[in-house]
Amino acid sequence: MRLPAGVRDWLPHELARKRDVELIIRAVFGRWAYEEVQTPTFERFDVLEKGLGSELVDQAYRFSDRRATALALRPEMTTPIARLVSTRMREAPLPLRLSYVTPVYRYYDQPQEGRLRELTQGGVELIGSPGLDADAETLFMAIETLDEIGLRDALFDVNHASVVDGILEGVGLAPETALIAKGFMKERNIVALRALEPRLVDFAMTRGGTEVLGFARRVCRTPASIAALDQLAELLRRAQMLGYGARIQVDFALLRDLEYYTGFIFEGYVPEVGFSLCGGGRYDGLLPRFGFNVPAVGWTAGVERLLIALERRGKHAVRRRQRIDVLVSGSDVVAARERAAGNVVRFAGGEFDEAALLADARAHHIPRVVIAANGRVRELRVTPPLDERLPAQTVVAKWDAK
Amino acid sequence: MPDKLVIAMPKGALYEDAAARLRLAGIDVPADPGRKLTVTTADGRAELLMLRPTDVPAYVEFGAADCGIVGKDVLWETDRTVSELADLGFGYCRLVVAARRIDRYHEGAPFPTFLRVATKFARSAEAYFAERDLPVELIPLHGSVELSPVVGLADAIVDLVATGKTLREHDMVIVAEIAESTARFVVNPVRFRAKYRSIVDLLARLDAMAAPV
Repeated sequence: MRLPAGVRDWLPHELARKRDVELIIRAVFGRWAYEEVQTPTFERFDVLEKGLGSELVDQAYRFSDRRATALALRPEMTTPIARLVSTRMREAPLPLRLSYVTPVYRYYDQPQEGRLRELTQGGVELIGSPGLDADAETLFMAIETLDEIGLRDALFDVNHASVVDGILEGVGLAPETALIAKGFMKERNIVALRALEPRLVDFAMTRGGTEVLGFARRVCRTPASIAALDQLAELLRRAQMLGYGARIQVDFALLRDLEYYTGFIFEGYVPEVGFSLCGGGRYDGLLPRFGFNVPAVGWTAGVERLLIALERRGKHAVRRRQRIDVLVSGSDVVAARERAAGNVVRFAGGEFDEAALLADARAHHIPRVVIAANGRVRELRVTPPLDERLPAQTVVAKWDAK
Repeated sequence: MPDKLVIAMPKGALYEDAAARLRLAGIDVPADPGRKLTVTTADGRAELLMLRPTDVPAYVEFGAADCGIVGKDVLWETDRTVSELADLGFGYCRLVVAARRIDRYHEGAPFPTFLRVATKFARSAEAYFAERDLPVELIPLHGSVELSPVVGLADAIVDLVATGKTLREHDMVIVAEIAESTARFVVNPVRFRAKYRSIVDLLARLDAMAAPV
């Protein structure tokens, strides 16, 4: 009766908390005018492979159907949406704002808390917008989402792929060495970086606000990296205006999937949780791989990770239960009337034993019991379970059951 | 006020050097934690978790500890995502392939096919032989690996060697060196950001106290 490693059940009170978070995420996405889409849980492997970085390709659950077509469960949503947009929505006016809140599947070798093999991602794709406005939109939206969930002190780190390339070029690394150096920067492996190129250590260790950008300006010479530094400066200025200034830091070692991101990159986290909660950036190279030459930027949050963060803070300590307004026995008609009046009804069928009905009502915190028997309807007000010595009070003795 | 740091300490061979180095860096680490699992320093600036060395990367990866000290050999074996901020220089040892002298092995000799290799370092050993396309049968053991060739369980071992004394006692020679290991200061990638000041400060003091190489 065991579950496979890395997946979990959601019991009613757990799912209620998860749905709360998903509801907030969807509400924020909606307020930013994003429309939700859904794609199949599995797709042809060759299509997913086209869009995924090598790390995610390795983590994909792969299988084949009876005709031996190679398939895979989606390990993320960006590639399926790139496929969807480049095939079905090519004629749609750009920019497109699409969102999703859905499970994805990844084969992690060591699944654990915060790294489930079935996980829920909530994210957006802003397709067809090349500039800083779009980058800023994703970051500010992510901050707003975490704020709404109750993580108002979440911190965000930003970086730009072109700045990192500019730094690597600026210290004189050949392209092959630069790629190795980027790998070490991503892991923040200072020991390996020091052995490879000691001048990179300071860039991998320094983080901060606008002043950090000046540090990079001293080595960046390529037009792309200088433009990227200007963009980050402008982004920080706009963040300042929104009151986010103290929550955003520049970190040149913040690199997500190396093959994916072509520009702006960010990640959000809280101090209590040892892994990032959300992240994203610009991947202008993705849609062209599907034959649609448009830029794209997006971000995604791990819903389970957000729940862990809330739990660590005791924000979800009170377990939500389903609210039930009335317990009805003996009449489908009475139950239907109660539901029509907007109440949540638990139906007790043909149970007429008052003591049993009251016990059931107390166990589920139901304030009213309606018993329809022999053409008579009686309604009982149920006292709270803490005060069981008091008898339930009959408030309506007679009521037409028709 | 700097953040309080939770530091994962390796019990055993590395402990004494790790404790000494942290004391030089201003963290009041007890010389012998006894049976205590956690120790808060007198000034309250650090909480130390006393762990089996192989458990240090997991504690740091999941943020149960902000940072820690652990041998590079353990990092190879555990494959956890932690950031290696400094090579602390102590705890030097080599991961080697060793075999009995009487098997006529010598440095550079080709390995026979279907070698049986006993080791506590299954991941590193597997990677080493796979890279060389050598089909070997790995026998994962948990201790006294040097015994296995003597009693015929294995043809060779992959193990850590500090002085080479244990190998000599069992009439074994080093056939190949896989890698060198020293103690590392590692940190959780998110805590590096969240407790940046405290971690960079500790790192600077650890580096400043490093013995000249």
